[in-house]
Amino acid sequence: MLAALTAAGIVAAAHLWQTTVPGDLRLPHLQASREFPARDLHRAESFEAFVRVTFLLSQAALVAVLAVYARRGTAFMRESAAGPIGTGFLLGMLGLALVWLARLPFGLVDLWWARRHDVVHVGYVEWFVDDFFGLGGKFLYLCLALLIVMGLARLVRQAWWIPAAAAFVGLLTLFTFTGPYLVPDLHAPKARELRAEAARLARREGVAGVPLRIEDVHDWTDQPNAYAFGLGPSRRVVLWDTIARFPRREVRVVMAHEYGHIAHHHIAKGIGWFGLVVLPAALLVAIATRRRGGLGEPAAVPLALFVVVILQLATGPLQGVATRRYEAEADWSALRIARDPVAMRALFRHFTARALADPDPPGWFHVLFDDHPTGLQRIAMADAFARAQR
Amino acid sequence: MAGTDAAEQPPRTAVTIVNRDDLQRSRWTVGFRLILAIPLLLWFVVWTIAAVLLAPVLWIATLVQGRPPAGLRDFYAAYVRFSVHLYAYMSLAANPYPGFLGAASSYPVDVVLPEQPAEQGRWGIAFRLLLALPPLLLAEALAGGGGGGGGAAGSDDWSVAANGPGVLTTVAVLAWFAILARGRMPSGFEALQTYALGYAAQAYAYLFLLTDRYPDSHPTAAAPQRALAPHPIALTLSDDPRRNRLTVAFRLLLALPHIVWITLWAIVAAIVAIVTWFAALITGRPPAALHAFLARFVRYSVHLGAFIYVAGGPFPGFLGEPGYPLDVEIGPPAEQSRWVTAFRLILAIPALVVGSAIGGAALLAAVGAWFAALFTGRVPLGVRALIAYSLRYSAQTSGYLLLLTERYPYSAPGPVDREPAPEPAPEPPTPEAPLTGPGVA
Repeated sequence: MLAALTAAGIVAAAHLWQTTVPGDLRLPHLQASREFPARDLHRAESFEAFVRVTFLLSQAALVAVLAVYARRGTAFMRESAAGPIGTGFLLGMLGLALVWLARLPFGLVDLWWARRHDVVHVGYVEWFVDDFFGLGGKFLYLCLALLIVMGLARLVRQAWWIPAAAAFVGLLTLFTFTGPYLVPDLHAPKARELRAEAARLARREGVAGVPLRIEDVHDWTDQPNAYAFGLGPSRRVVLWDTIARFPRREVRVVMAHEYGHIAHHHIAKGIGWFGLVVLPAALLVAIATRRRGGLGEPAAVPLALFVVVILQLATGPLQGVATRRYEAEADWSALRIARDPVAMRALFRHFTARALADPDPPGWFHVLFDDHPTGLQRIAMADAFARAQR
Repeated sequence: MAGTDAAEQPPRTAVTIVNRDDLQRSRWTVGFRLILAIPLLLWFVVWTIAAVLLAPVLWIATLVQGRPPAGLRDFYAAYVRFSVHLYAYMSLAANPYPGFLGAASSYPVDVVLPEQPAEQGRWGIAFRLLLALPPLLLAEALAGGGGGGGGAAGSDDWSVAANGPGVLTTVAVLAWFAILARGRMPSGFEALQTYALGYAAQAYAYLFLLTDRYPDSHPTAAAPQRALAPHPIALTLSDDPRRNRLTVAFRLLLALPHIVWITLWAIVAAIVAIVTWFAALITGRPPAALHAFLARFVRYSVHLGAFIYVAGGPFPGFLGEPGYPLDVEIGPPAEQSRWVTAFRLILAIPALVVGSAIGGAALLAAVGAWFAALFTGRVPLGVRALIAYSLRYSAQTSGYLLLLTERYPYSAPGPVDREPAPEPAPEPPTPEAPLTGPGVA
């Protein structure tokens, strides 16, 4: 059965790997120092260099805390009067709580750094309160996941990972579908031209009827952002109000990029990748937790948390490659639909100036952790498109 | 850990309350109680102004000498005593008209203050106002404006309604109707009021440097101990007061899965309760299976409440099974009067009102318990006892509402109704901590 699953996985991965970006597309080699004003480039590099350090330290803290917790976490079992699954909930939540505590200083330092660079406006107390209660949401998700895996592990014993992987894919699909209905404060753009432009782009991409929404974030950040989410009738393209104020041609490129995600089914494909990763990951967790009696026992939960995080870190670069391909495809799609490489160039220069996004981060960091092409690569794609049009 | 609460019974505080009331009330004086109290209130305002003006003098003198000067001590002792008399009179906890001088032993509900206070620590005196804030807040929630000198907070018992009535006020309003109907104060109400007055007296005695003993909210700390009437829904407490700081720090978030679960369960329980209501109305007793289901729900809500309020240590189970350190025992289904069943929802309203007031005080106590447990790794016994009492009353109210019993909730405070069944052999209650058992009236 394993062989059949592996073969099916390889076929599915090969299918998901395909994009519409021409295979023979050669991106020109660009120098960041020539593409960006020196001051903007220096600010972005300095800003992101610091963020990279705190990010890496925070990841190290995550691994260290969970490694210790995997060994010692079972001591918290005496704090529970619940049954095995309830005790598993407690151990899982306490693991996350310890991780939150360990990463709190890095979060605060990052906030200080972002405030210092005028990237965010949120205050320390507000950030702390939001982050703390955000942890509550993570607790609930974790408990749902533990309910599934522990329930199945107690029910079907060692083969739990197969139905559990299917359940997780089902849940992700459900949450992806319902997500757009649960995000508050999304509203239609007030500007009629923007609405009309969005409708035009959606028609050209073959996804007419997918609405554009604006999310007001200017109270807490200046960062520009946009995203597409949802499935089927719940699909939406969302612009942060910070990006909706960009020059009109740049906003048009952004919208075309997001409609590109929807036209090329990137969200559904993301669920497909998740399915491909979660099945072997669940198997590895099942194997790793066997010596603690399997995931049906609460004593296995701290170890399972550690294994999951290690697997996430290990598969992160692979997932990054896939998402970077889809982002590149959405960029290419935007170029084909909007036919405005100049605006795309300007957009990514703007990103560097406003969001302090380093357009050319260290290669190792980009490979290991980035899920988007670099700013420089995206400008290069705009140039490649312009050249192809001539 | 059976009997932990008994073994760790807090010492009696230096401030205690005496209650010689016979529960008999004159309907005439009760009917016009507020109007009759006007001269007392006017006098109380004058006295309060003097007490506030003299407070800095008292503080400095006590800081210098290490104990309050005799004259000032007597002045504030009389003030606290008069406050208790006045509030007892206004809240119907006592019947006779009180004197204006706050004389000791002059009133059925009286406060006993230390005659000769021992030398107090200078640090405790220096930061007294700050230290007294938590107990003053709790006194506000219990005595609604400060039973023992609440005028210092600038409000009287009846005006507190604007800020959310305390337990004393809430009970007084309900007692007013009960007395006009029966000519007698319900004993549970009277015991609850005595407790509230006792705690407020402790808080204000502490504030005014009459004692350096920190106020204790244990129901037996300042108020007279009394046997609890037997009730089919009884609390058992076998909790170890030590707490794990990590589970305390994240307690509210850790309870989130339970909160989601109880919300779903409550929807089903409401439907089951309606079915039970019809069944009990027809057959005269709730069906055993439905009774068991609702009993589990009530037990689970107590476990969860105890966990969230830090009165219970461990993470509770999700099924409401017996065995949590702070638990309720619920009797089997019994015959119930069809009339009482028919009007159950309306009849439950006073209990719900009282429960809401007690719950407010318990919530405040839980905040204190959270901080205390986070810093000391233990939950204070008095605070835990107050929360346990609130949970017991809440369970009795839910049980009444959900037709688990037709016995009305009993509002007299008491940390434990029943000890959990001892494991090896039953031990007699210790002399310091007499606990009532089933069948003790």
